[in-house]
Amino acid sequence: MRYTGMVSRAALAAALLLAGTGMAAADDHLLVQRIAAGTGPVLDPDAGLWQQATPLTVALQAQMIATPVNAEPAVSALTVRAVHDGLWLTFQLRWDDPTKSDTIDLDRFGDQAAVELPVKAYDANNPPNPMMGDADQPVTIMQWRAALQRDQEQGEPKLPDIYPNAHIDFYTGDLLKPEEARAYTGAVGLGNPVSRVGKSPVLDQMAAGFGSLTVKPQQRAGAKGVWADGHWTVVIARPMKTDGEFDPKLAPGDGSVAAFAVWEGGKDETGSRKAWSDWVPLSLEK
Amino acid sequence: MPKVFNWQIGRDMDYLYEGARPKKQFGMVMDLNKCIACQTCTIACKTTWTSGRGQEYQFWNNVESKPYGYYPLGWDVRILEKLGVQPIDAGPYQGKTIFEAAPEGERVLGYRPEDMDYTSPNIGEDDSTGGIINEGGAYLQMPHMQWMFYLPRICNHCTYPACLGACPRQSVYKRPEDGIVLIDQERCRGYRECVKGCPYKKPFFNALNRTSEKCVGCYPAVEAGQQTRCTIGCIGKIRLQGFINTPDQAREDNPLDYIVHIAKVARPLFPQLGLEPNVYYIPPMHVPSWFLKQMFGATVDQAVNVYRRAAEDKKLLGALMLFGATKEISHHYKVDGDTVTGYTEQGDEIIRVPMHEPIFTRAVFDEKLQAYRSNIT
Repeated sequence: MRYTGMVSRAALAAALLLAGTGMAAADDHLLVQRIAAGTGPVLDPDAGLWQQATPLTVALQAQMIATPVNAEPAVSALTVRAVHDGLWLTFQLRWDDPTKSDTIDLDRFGDQAAVELPVKAYDANNPPNPMMGDADQPVTIMQWRAALQRDQEQGEPKLPDIYPNAHIDFYTGDLLKPEEARAYTGAVGLGNPVSRVGKSPVLDQMAAGFGSLTVKPQQRAGAKGVWADGHWTVVIARPMKTDGEFDPKLAPGDGSVAAFAVWEGGKDETGSRKAWSDWVPLSLEK
Repeated sequence: MPKVFNWQIGRDMDYLYEGARPKKQFGMVMDLNKCIACQTCTIACKTTWTSGRGQEYQFWNNVESKPYGYYPLGWDVRILEKLGVQPIDAGPYQGKTIFEAAPEGERVLGYRPEDMDYTSPNIGEDDSTGGIINEGGAYLQMPHMQWMFYLPRICNHCTYPACLGACPRQSVYKRPEDGIVLIDQERCRGYRECVKGCPYKKPFFNALNRTSEKCVGCYPAVEAGQQTRCTIGCIGKIRLQGFINTPDQAREDNPLDYIVHIAKVARPLFPQLGLEPNVYYIPPMHVPSWFLKQMFGATVDQAVNVYRRAAEDKKLLGALMLFGATKEISHHYKVDGDTVTGYTEQGDEIIRVPMHEPIFTRAVFDEKLQAYRSNIT
């Protein structure tokens, strides 16, 4: 099914125009500001250069197309800034969240945020579906997870982190050689990327329709999130041009689109129960 | 939603995917009249499958007391309460299944238990109905007014699994070769929709792995022609695991088909929920009919009556004799005279069981020892 979205062609045309001129962004599009070459990914959410980037308020709505849904997600808007140095594209996402949710157990879900980009060069006449893309037009989705961020800072979760008074004599797997113990480790042993943190608390993924979200073999994205005073500030970065089949290829001066999603773990938001945005036009400053 | 036929409720029903029955369907029969809740099955399962991190609280096999035992707490009464009062009469089920009762925006009707609901896996153990002391010494009466029974549970490897239907990213799959339902541990992202959706609460969330895990039907054993660990470990010989066909395809020489479809002595658990579960229970004879009906369907009394007269049906008796007799799966069986024989899928003999234990009567006076024998049994 072809997506006929809400991004107006006029807004996109404006974005493309602005990209070439370095003018300030219009209200409904995101200007990716050029920063000094060689800066690389800006993985400090509080870095001073974010003060110079033009913020854009992006409205979020409930994901209501694919079940199950949460009709009233907790987060209704986020502030987005973006910069690039010619090689790396970095987004800064900031939203209100009264509770920091970075511990996962049966009752608790983690906070998450995602940036989505089209894989193919953006064509305003034939845009991909912003909701997970489609078979002809896959998308890249970089999803930052608070729980993975916590793992990176404090080490992998252990039973006493969740149940402080639990006592275990030993685990069968501990008595075995690593290759034999793998059978006792489930998803961790299989390298499931949601089970343990890799190099970064963000999952570099592709999707080509609902239910198809898959972590890419090559992880190129980086991220860091900081929670303070009732809001999260998260930066998510990726190289502008890499050769992966499902990696977007962007260059200074390009116009494209991005979409965003936020999950408020404190309200049990996970998977398809989320707040998402439609495509937001963006232009990469020359 | 696509329509699928569910023979247990005798009608078409809504399901999230088109119906596709596996080539063979994993099945199990448990005789509730024989279970003593020794938990040997639970430990056989636990030591085989769930001794890892994050699995400390998981019991893919558990045995609970009914009516007051639950694991997790209140799993059955809570989903029944959410579903609301439904008509359960003989004939096609007129009420709603959990797929048909799904609220707007949800894939199935369900609820996610809380962590605390798993903290007492044997809560209500041996609690019987009514009061003993307060009701004036009812223990003096025969038969007893009070009752309870044990309910061993594994995943039902349903024909229409709610866990599979509830997962928005197809991480749960049903194997076409044997109907075993598994969660892909590489694909699962820990949304817990399966935990919420399964009314039997047999998918469990592993908080350290951040994925959901469930009973795997001992698939490596089943692939090798062996029964599950919980079945072969059962000291009460209450279980028989094998494969079950639909009623129209029932084979008289398949012990599960004979027990379920031909003798009709075993019933699925909460068939009204609509999942076509594939664990079948021989209902406990001493439990009031009104309780059994909500649990095993409207015609459960017939199953009890068949069981009472099991000795009259040699084929049924033969199938029951195979319980606990072998490690291997009896795909075929034959009753010949006073012996039942079990066979592999290829027709190789795996067991011969006498239908009656031999009885020896000893003379009262022992000629050799020149002594009278006293009966010490």
